[in-house]
Amino acid sequence: MLDSMREWGFFLLRRFGVFLIALFGVSVITFTVTHKIGNPVYLLVGTRYNQEMLDNIRREIGLDRPLHEQYLRYAGNLLQGNLGISRFSYNPVLEDIGRRLPATLELSSWALAMGVLWAVPAGILAALRPQGRMARLADLVARTGVSMPGFWLGLLLIFVFFAELHWFPAPLGRIARSIGPPQYVTGWYSIDTLLAGDREAFFSSVSHLILPALTLAITTSPSTLQITRKRMQEVLQSDYIRSARAFGLPGNKVYRYALRNTLGPVITMIAMTYGYLLSGTVLVEVVFTWPGLGLYAVDAMNHSDYEPIMGVVLLSSGFYLLVYLASDIFNALFDPRVRTEL
Amino acid sequence: MLAGEQAIPERPSLLQRMMRANGPMRVRLNIGLLLLIVLLGLLAPLLPLHDPVRPNPLNRFKAPSLEHPFGTDGNGMDVLSRTIHAIRTDFALAISSVALGIVVGAPLGALSGYFGGRLDSVITRITEVFQGFPQILFGMAVLAAAGNTMVNLVLILAFYNVPVYSKMVRSVTLPLREADFVQAARVAGNSPLSVVFRHVLPNTLVPVFSQLPLSCAYAAQMIAGLSFIGLGVAIPTPEWGSMIQLGANQLVFGKWWASIFPGLALFISVWLLNNVSDLFGSLVVRRA
Repeated sequence: MLDSMREWGFFLLRRFGVFLIALFGVSVITFTVTHKIGNPVYLLVGTRYNQEMLDNIRREIGLDRPLHEQYLRYAGNLLQGNLGISRFSYNPVLEDIGRRLPATLELSSWALAMGVLWAVPAGILAALRPQGRMARLADLVARTGVSMPGFWLGLLLIFVFFAELHWFPAPLGRIARSIGPPQYVTGWYSIDTLLAGDREAFFSSVSHLILPALTLAITTSPSTLQITRKRMQEVLQSDYIRSARAFGLPGNKVYRYALRNTLGPVITMIAMTYGYLLSGTVLVEVVFTWPGLGLYAVDAMNHSDYEPIMGVVLLSSGFYLLVYLASDIFNALFDPRVRTEL
Repeated sequence: MLAGEQAIPERPSLLQRMMRANGPMRVRLNIGLLLLIVLLGLLAPLLPLHDPVRPNPLNRFKAPSLEHPFGTDGNGMDVLSRTIHAIRTDFALAISSVALGIVVGAPLGALSGYFGGRLDSVITRITEVFQGFPQILFGMAVLAAAGNTMVNLVLILAFYNVPVYSKMVRSVTLPLREADFVQAARVAGNSPLSVVFRHVLPNTLVPVFSQLPLSCAYAAQMIAGLSFIGLGVAIPTPEWGSMIQLGANQLVFGKWWASIFPGLALFISVWLLNNVSDLFGSLVVRRA
């Protein structure tokens, strides 16, 4: 009991250490971009300035200090949640991000759910019958999904299902303009409209969600499918499954054992996909004018304003690292071997 | 089915054989098509095509016709000609960024794998950080801060490729440390650096080259994606991503050709590159 507690303690400590080191690495990179590649002085002086003004501002914001001091100051600001101020919305970046985060989270969560719901069963089926028709179909869809540029696939879907067939609404935001956003509870329109009990608004928000979520599901799910399939195949050929079969265990029981041992890597891959999706929605958000973090970053970019973009970069890499950490801990719960390695 | 009862299969048609092709046949097919695309791009200036950058205000968004097989775009430029000329832009940018990534990443990986120790753990940690990095967003920020040019675009993509190749070369280098020929080189009095660069590094090239098409495919997607939001490549230059962007507004009105054709070209190129990389990979594994 004590041993296992110690094992867990060391595991969590090590894993959390790696998380912190990675966060530090990310902040060094964003620091380099905002302070060394970009020049924050020009963000502050506006269009009319002379050398004296530049020097004054440099001193004011500490750009004349040694590099490590500048970094400490920057990191201190980050820890206080100060990500700078957006030059085009005049709001603190953190506030802007908070307002737009639910839209991106809603989209990426739907996309993840749609992807997982098809990719995991398809991967299992493909592993059970590697030469079957289902395996070939899954392979083809996965290959197509990997090679398809997401933003172009989105345009394709818009053309077919909006412009030609009129099955889905125009790709303009999260809900029909005539209906308007629901009362804010979670920020997820598909949930808030349900909570408000407004059927029409709920259908509107879901019909706005389907095409962008489908686009992202198609382009991000192939890795989940491949890993499910590969892992399931490995497990089915392993000694313990062969002995289980040899002892005459009924088929579905064997498959249940196999499935359980397939889950670890699959969960890691799903977590990584989710971590990727938070920033991977950028181009799809542009195509569907989805008012999330990606569109915010693109707006900022069009105003040559890089601090908001760096804010989103920090948030999404932090999110990725966090999800990755969570999946490792989750795996350690089921597989004691994970706890001792690393 | 009993032995000997097997029906004699009919000779499959060429199309069927192409679909089922595997092994060397499939490699040849994919590489052949890929070379065809590259050749098309190289020969583009010699082909009887319209001028890819000549606008014609009277000829905007014309549907595909004999004169313009892929139609014309919002500036009245010929989409077919631009799609073919764009092969040059996209492939050149993709290949140069990947090559730059290899030139920096492979020696780093070899050094870290060969010498191990602190350098090794630092490089490995950096690689890990990059796995979860939001690459498109980061590219946007750097281009916004450092200037929106093609050179900066290539530099960023090269930057992403460095950890990919350093990690791969490192993993190949580790077992090579104790290989006979490396030990022989060491005993013969070569300096450690010369052992790494003249004896270890050349022997890591096979996996590097099987990864190459995959990296190019990814780079091509990134380039198109970034120029889709107006980064890297500006409009008159024929490039798939910016072409798709230019046609996107008209797509909802049913004028599909200006966006669909360049996207299709990008999709097919990436598809072929991915296939070739897969097949290379399986050939390498089979030989080992």
